[in-house]
Amino acid sequence: MSSAVDLTFEQVTKFYGPVIGVNGVDLRVGPGITGLLGSNGAGKSTLMKLASGRLRPSQGRVRIGPYNARSTRAKRLLGYCPDVNTFYEEMSGREFVRLMTRLYGYSMREAARRTDTALERTGMSDRADRRLGGYSHGMRQRIKLAQAIAHEPRVLLLDEPLTGIDPGGRREINDLLRRLAADGLTILVSSHLLGEVEQLCDRLAVVSRGRLIAEGTLAELRRLLGDEPLTIRLESPGARQIAAIIVESPDISHVEIHGEALTLRTRNPVGFFALLGESVVARGFEISRLETLDAGAEAVFGYLERSAS
Amino acid sequence: MRELRAWTALAFSAFRRLLWSSATLMLLFPLAACLVFLLRQRFDRIEDPVRAFQLFSNFLLDVFTPVVVPLCALAFGTAGLAGDREDRTLLFLLIRPLGRGLILSAKFAATLPLVLGFACGGLWIFCRLAGPVGANAFDAYLPAVIAMSLAYTALFHLFAVYFKHATIAALVYAVFMEALLGNMPGIIRRTAINFYGRSLMYDAGVDYGLSAPDPALFDPIGGQFGLIVLGGITVGSLLLAWLVFVAFDYEEGA
Repeated sequence: MSSAVDLTFEQVTKFYGPVIGVNGVDLRVGPGITGLLGSNGAGKSTLMKLASGRLRPSQGRVRIGPYNARSTRAKRLLGYCPDVNTFYEEMSGREFVRLMTRLYGYSMREAARRTDTALERTGMSDRADRRLGGYSHGMRQRIKLAQAIAHEPRVLLLDEPLTGIDPGGRREINDLLRRLAADGLTILVSSHLLGEVEQLCDRLAVVSRGRLIAEGTLAELRRLLGDEPLTIRLESPGARQIAAIIVESPDISHVEIHGEALTLRTRNPVGFFALLGESVVARGFEISRLETLDAGAEAVFGYLERSAS
Repeated sequence: MRELRAWTALAFSAFRRLLWSSATLMLLFPLAACLVFLLRQRFDRIEDPVRAFQLFSNFLLDVFTPVVVPLCALAFGTAGLAGDREDRTLLFLLIRPLGRGLILSAKFAATLPLVLGFACGGLWIFCRLAGPVGANAFDAYLPAVIAMSLAYTALFHLFAVYFKHATIAALVYAVFMEALLGNMPGIIRRTAINFYGRSLMYDAGVDYGLSAPDPALFDPIGGQFGLIVLGGITVGSLLLAWLVFVAFDYEEGA
């Protein structure tokens, strides 16, 4: 395993003329998979461009390991899978990945070996000799991923990497990314598919209106939102009696009963679970199922965005 | 060593892509038209060698130099980097550990053999067709054609790094600056590259009996000065292109 390399944004601000694209972002992305979430225009793409050295920050610094992200040393450590979907269309997938690998200065033989490995890892070995012009969207995504990992980078930036890939392919790609992360790679995935980011990522960074509004594991982010109502669903043969007990609590804002299912919203999740233990479980009510409905990435993201605005 | 290998890979691949591009096919048409014209003119059958040289030189000065040479440079000079920008594939080069100067120089190096090949190769074929006067014309005019090819190619690389749609900008330049202003009487024609190339050609052709043009229509400068200006345009354009290429962000890969 090679040594870990961090991607660091230090007080990064980017202006597009008078418009601010990213505002004072401080973020350190370490080994593992970090999801970059944000709605359109939030600053997600600007951060990816800054990290890949395509944009120069107006203020602050972006570093890959100890190097400025625009330097050639940083680019040796970086693999980038962009959201752009055009290639040298007349080439085959293998030729394209091999050329991109040769641009790292490898000999023809070494570039060919690395290309074969990358194509195999992305599941493209058997289709790599066809012309890129005839590739489906999913195949293009895999080729982009192959050219990003062929030189064995230490930091991998993935811009919407799963778009257009079928569910089976997504599982394969997710497994590959998890293996890379297990090898100590620092991976930043920008995506609007929150469900997938939630499944894939160890940590999340949420941007809104050019600012980093939260960063941490999903559980940590959920804890940040102590005041946000949490929707909880429980199933019990005594759902009606339980509803009668908990509705007395001032923290419960909404209660719904459908047969044995009870759905409620609480502004104080910690207090609610204490109440549940003391007043419901202690009285011998049987609870067959208990789940929180909006502790997932989408709900957390929605809460964070609302809090930021 | 790694940089050199990467540079060579980029230059070779760019050369191969340009060679098999539509630019090559497009250039065959004007060259074929010139070929047909020369086959009909039969300069080799003109008995007076000075007159034959004059007539053949007129063809080179009025058609080949102001039309075919810039077309060669325009077709390949803008297809390299400008093609990457228009297709948004430049991004794949910018994220590699290659300095921007190396990317620009690799693209320029890939373009040059094609531009020179078509311009000088075209000149060689036309001169062969023209018979004995052609041999003299080739010796006399080759340096001018090389100098013009270099200047145009460098200028169109500057266009490629500055303008997103460099082919259109280069076409506008070719029509207005080279064809229109370059053929106007007076000092204004000195804004066109072909003025300096043609001055070089007049200077070299005098030794073979080429008569000086009417100063009211075309007042050439000295050959050496023409060469200096063309060299200056080549070096200046490349330097400026390098500065622009390093300074610009090209955030969308274009």
